[in-house]
Amino acid sequence: MADLSIAVRQVGEVAVLLPTGFINAHTVREFEEALEGLVQGGRYTILLNCKDLNYISSAGLGAIMGLIETVREHGGDILLSNLQDNVFAIFDTLGFTQLYRVFGEEEQALAATAPGQKG
Amino acid sequence: MSVVAKMDHAQFRLIIPSQTRYLNLVTGLAKRASLVAGMDDATAAKVSIAVDEAVTNVIIHAYHGEGEHSVELELRFTDTALEIHIWHSGQGIRGDQMVLPDPKEYIKHPRKGGLGLLLMSRFMDEVQFKADEVSGRNECCLIKKIS
Repeated sequence: MADLSIAVRQVGEVAVLLPTGFINAHTVREFEEALEGLVQGGRYTILLNCKDLNYISSAGLGAIMGLIETVREHGGDILLSNLQDNVFAIFDTLGFTQLYRVFGEEEQALAATAPGQKG
Repeated sequence: MSVVAKMDHAQFRLIIPSQTRYLNLVTGLAKRASLVAGMDDATAAKVSIAVDEAVTNVIIHAYHGEGEHSVELELRFTDTALEIHIWHSGQGIRGDQMVLPDPKEYIKHPRKGGLGLLLMSRFMDEVQFKADEVSGRNECCLIKKIS
């Protein structure tokens, strides 16, 4: 099994990105390229469904941090859903749960991005 | 009065090339070692992340991404803690150079980098950086107490 594989699908205005495996210094470039590809394609509302993400190190957090301002400047956002306990612990320990909107399930995140639901 | 046999301290070493492809191997080992030491799954996951960050720092910063060097890890199981010692011969960091970013400032001004040390310090009970001037090697020591 590869250390990381990434699937992307579009649900309305939201690009749903599903990383499977580990995001660390070895795999982060692949993760960055996936995120940057979405932004360069004008898809500024990105949902990271982390149900199959086993862990993310600071390298992966940096990739997200590096794009958050860009997507918000374009009226979009980066949302998180389905975090496993250890991944949530990383975000929460660093206070990032205040910076990103975190949802239990993908459907809840998608509902929150529906017209009139933003913010 | 009862006599309880004192558990012998156990330790073993692993030497890996300074390449990020081996991170997954090392973090898997750290997680398993934490479970063997008696930690729960959540704590073991935090130890494995701290080890990921420490070894990544060695590969990326101490060795500047050069893959022909070696990183030596030693796991020590004591009665009260799991100690993970990481040695390298690259550029070292002293304890007084370990400046942790303020998470609140980070949230106000998002940027790349600087979070590895913070994760290590939050997830471990002790993080120590040492330099051995005789051997020229540097050490990062991570300690997680067994509660």
